[in-house]
Amino acid sequence: MNSTVMKKTMYFFALPALLFYCVFWIFPIFKLFQYSITDYNGYAQSFNYVGLSNYKELFSGSTLGNSIGNTLMYTLVSVVVGNLIGLGLALLLNQNIRGKGFYRSISYIPTLFSAIVVGFIWSYVYMPDSGMIASLLRMVGIPIDNLNFLGSYSSALYSIIFVEIWKNIGITMIIFLAGLQTIPNDLLEAGRIDGAGKWKLFRNVTLPLLATSVTINITLSIINGLKAFDFPFIMTNGGPGDSTNTLVYSIYKMAFTEQLFGKASALGVISFFIIIVITIIAVLTMNKKEVSA
Amino acid sequence: MSKQAAFSKSAAPTPAGRAETRTGGLKLLRKALMQLLVAGVMILNLIPLVIVLSASLRSPANNGNPLNLFSEISLASYQSAFERMHFGSALWNSIVLTGVSVVVVVIIAAMASYPIARIQSRWSSFLYLFFLAGLVIPGQMVLIPIVQMINGLNIPNTQYTPILMFITCSLPFSTFLYTGFIRSGVPIEVEEAAHIDGASLMRRFWSVVFPLILPVTVSVIITQGVWIWNDYFFNMTFISRASQSPLPLAMLGFMGDQQNPTQWNVLFAACVLCALPLLVAFSFLQKYFMGGMTVGAVKG
Repeated sequence: MNSTVMKKTMYFFALPALLFYCVFWIFPIFKLFQYSITDYNGYAQSFNYVGLSNYKELFSGSTLGNSIGNTLMYTLVSVVVGNLIGLGLALLLNQNIRGKGFYRSISYIPTLFSAIVVGFIWSYVYMPDSGMIASLLRMVGIPIDNLNFLGSYSSALYSIIFVEIWKNIGITMIIFLAGLQTIPNDLLEAGRIDGAGKWKLFRNVTLPLLATSVTINITLSIINGLKAFDFPFIMTNGGPGDSTNTLVYSIYKMAFTEQLFGKASALGVISFFIIIVITIIAVLTMNKKEVSA
Repeated sequence: MSKQAAFSKSAAPTPAGRAETRTGGLKLLRKALMQLLVAGVMILNLIPLVIVLSASLRSPANNGNPLNLFSEISLASYQSAFERMHFGSALWNSIVLTGVSVVVVVIIAAMASYPIARIQSRWSSFLYLFFLAGLVIPGQMVLIPIVQMINGLNIPNTQYTPILMFITCSLPFSTFLYTGFIRSGVPIEVEEAAHIDGASLMRRFWSVVFPLILPVTVSVIITQGVWIWNDYFFNMTFISRASQSPLPLAMLGFMGDQQNPTQWNVLFAACVLCALPLLVAFSFLQKYFMGGMTVGAVKG
């Protein structure tokens, strides 16, 4: 097949994309490794090589551990809760329900919004006193004195994770729905005739046949979660304290507000490895599961 | 459809049929509950959006309880938002940025996927993984060197600079979609026929393969178009003048501070204006939007 019809000259087709990709994506990553051992501050053209001191500083400080913890929590919760809700919605909307087309469309709407718009809307929803949740609770007579979703150290992270889930639920749902629609009806029918209950049918027929959709959704939400940046940036500025500092947000803050490009690059390098390793582990585990299922 | 089935069942009152009507009643009840559940979930999901819409229709000074939905209908907030975000020019900037980026992505990602899908060698597998790896790298991480590089390469800092990043960031996912589809969806026999007819490689790709992969092209346009349209991050980095801002960037100025508290009604009107173009596109092209998301999911 590689012979006369598929000539090696085809590789030239990849050149334009490769050029963009290497210049604006791969080369900068190598530069990041270089900057990570300097005291570069972002504007002065001269900088000194400082060895591993950026890394040492990071490992002895609290930012690294804290942002890794927040990022992992962000990823874990958004993957588990997001996919459960998405799957639930998809199962509901796969039933014979009046207006399901309409429901599908409207649950897709939030995915069309810019993160800025979503962040603004939810800043209002969470606002203490006059925000949406506070007003609703007051209306039904629940006291709201200490209600401050984004302002309290313990709830801020979960509050922004919920926004992330809300924004992406439409896509998760659509992917599950597409998977559900590929399941042949006779298979479910056969299971029913064999006397399988609802749960057994779901566990032993539906779920294994959904394996591809599950893999795709989980992979997408892991990648999304590990890169979390938008809502800490728009809604909380990483605060209160450092409670919503994710890895990517910390890199951004270190580089562009604290002018520590060198140290931020070192954090970037560390994040790079963390993200790659977690993604590879997740993808490999799921591929194994998918084959055995 | 289900109504008809229930009707025909009750029309035949055999003993077995009577038992079935009873379970039929139970089924009806379950269905009603299900319907309620779905409606409930949807309402919970959409409350914030309804409140935003209702508040955006109030005049800027109306600070009444936003839960009194649609108690005032006025376009004053829209007028204010429209002017402050320079809606006309922001819309135009968004169209140009997204349009140019998407066209270039479609052309170069489709081309790059062709050898990756067709040649079976270590090189093509390497290229596939090489592009795919880019998916996991956050743009914010690459930004530190990029800002430096763009200055170093003397690429002028214009409103079109973000296009470079939009194209680059879109390549991994687009290449992934195209490669999967060419492998599974374009039979080699068509190409062999074109080859025998004497078509060059270029011609073969553009007039035989490219039309056949139209479904992925739609998918790439939708998925990449939506994120590029909504992106504020690269725009924020490279664009500093208000007249050059696309829609999401024009939104940034609406959040208040201590001196100028947020005018929520105007902010909400701006949110609606910002989301409107995509919502309009979605309402006309719904099938493509929802299908576009799943081309990769089902094929890949």
